[in-house]
Amino acid sequence: VLSIMAACQAVPVGDLLDRASQRSDTLHSISTSLTHHMDSHLPSVGRLLMPRPNMCHTSSLQTPNDKEQTLSVSEAELMSLARSLLQAWVHPLLILSQESGSLPAPAQGLVSTRLLELLDHASSLQDGLDVLSSKMGPASQYLSYLPYHGGPGLGEDNPSKLVNFHFLLSCFRRDSHKIDSFLKVLRCRAAKSRPESC
Amino acid sequence: MGRAVGAALFFLTLLNTATSETDYSPPGRPKLSSCLSRDKETFTCWWAPSDRDDALRTTYALYYLKESSDVVYTCPDYRTAGPNSCYFNKNNTSIWVNYNITVAATNARGSNFSEPVVVDVAYIVQPHTPENLTVVVLGDKDGTFFRVSWEPPRKADTRSGWITLIYELRAKLDGADWEEHFAGQQKMFNIFSLRSGGTYRIQVRCKPIHGFWSEWSPTVNVTAPYALPLGSSMWIL
Repeated sequence: VLSIMAACQAVPVGDLLDRASQRSDTLHSISTSLTHHMDSHLPSVGRLLMPRPNMCHTSSLQTPNDKEQTLSVSEAELMSLARSLLQAWVHPLLILSQESGSLPAPAQGLVSTRLLELLDHASSLQDGLDVLSSKMGPASQYLSYLPYHGGPGLGEDNPSKLVNFHFLLSCFRRDSHKIDSFLKVLRCRAAKSRPESC
Repeated sequence: MGRAVGAALFFLTLLNTATSETDYSPPGRPKLSSCLSRDKETFTCWWAPSDRDDALRTTYALYYLKESSDVVYTCPDYRTAGPNSCYFNKNNTSIWVNYNITVAATNARGSNFSEPVVVDVAYIVQPHTPENLTVVVLGDKDGTFFRVSWEPPRKADTRSGWITLIYELRAKLDGADWEEHFAGQQKMFNIFSLRSGGTYRIQVRCKPIHGFWSEWSPTVNVTAPYALPLGSSMWIL
């Protein structure tokens, strides 16, 4: 990791943001396809049992909720929000990945594989954002603490496993969309010299 | 909301027992057909009116709840997006927030409610078509080619990065199938290997990275210039 970070130090911020926003793209796309997969296999009773989105462990983080608010947030703060969200998912993504092995769902193998990809992309995005924030100054390095209290597993019986798995995924889907949106805005602010991508 | 639905159902049962099955009955169940955002800043929902004969002049109302609140709101604007629609302007639109939406159909005999639909603006973006599609015929030593260019739809704010669009274009030679070309985030694309003298129809469409493809743009027709086949100059001489 140190050598990666050293190598990245030499890359201009605009290029790093380009790469980071490609990663966050992929993160969101994978979480969307997984959510759709689970959607199509969750019995309708399961949908009723799903907790509301404000029960997501990251929902206490104050984030902008429209374009005007997002565009008025400083670069350092957008970066801090993206990093805080990503940090909050390190542990729950691991749980999702571990539990996917025993998930009572069709194409369980595929779900496991995709979750491994998700972990991989999330950790490389995290490394990239660490480098970026070190270049952007202390305000961007502030991390909000958003603990996950869901315990080590996703439940004892199969129905609760399935419902909790689906719920966590849908929370991550929303957060990865936020992260991606914040990084895309940051990318365009940094890319004033390359208006073709914005 | 729950109470309102309960009351309406109660009425409905009362009325059903009181009247025979004629035109004079409560409206059929309306259906919320879709909700779409063109710009990730506002959105519109449409419903299908019930198809029963409407001697009782059914009226429609849209109600919604926002996540983490129990306040029931009514549609802020029934006009802007045309009949059977509700338009949510910037002030009424939040992103990363679930909206739970229901449509009520009401006539003199009672009300009926649609199945509720849950939407988050983040997941329902479908932009307008790209604009100002332009094709110019250019040539260099390797022959002629079309340079196709366009602009993003006016309503989509791509400059700030709020929306990131990717593009696809397609070209069709008379009597042949459509040929599609993926342009990525570029707003320009060159088409080579033209049929000499062939007339092409060209269209373009766009999609936010996480969203739905727009419709295809209006067609631009363009004819490739006649070129003397290589070597034919010898014969003419």
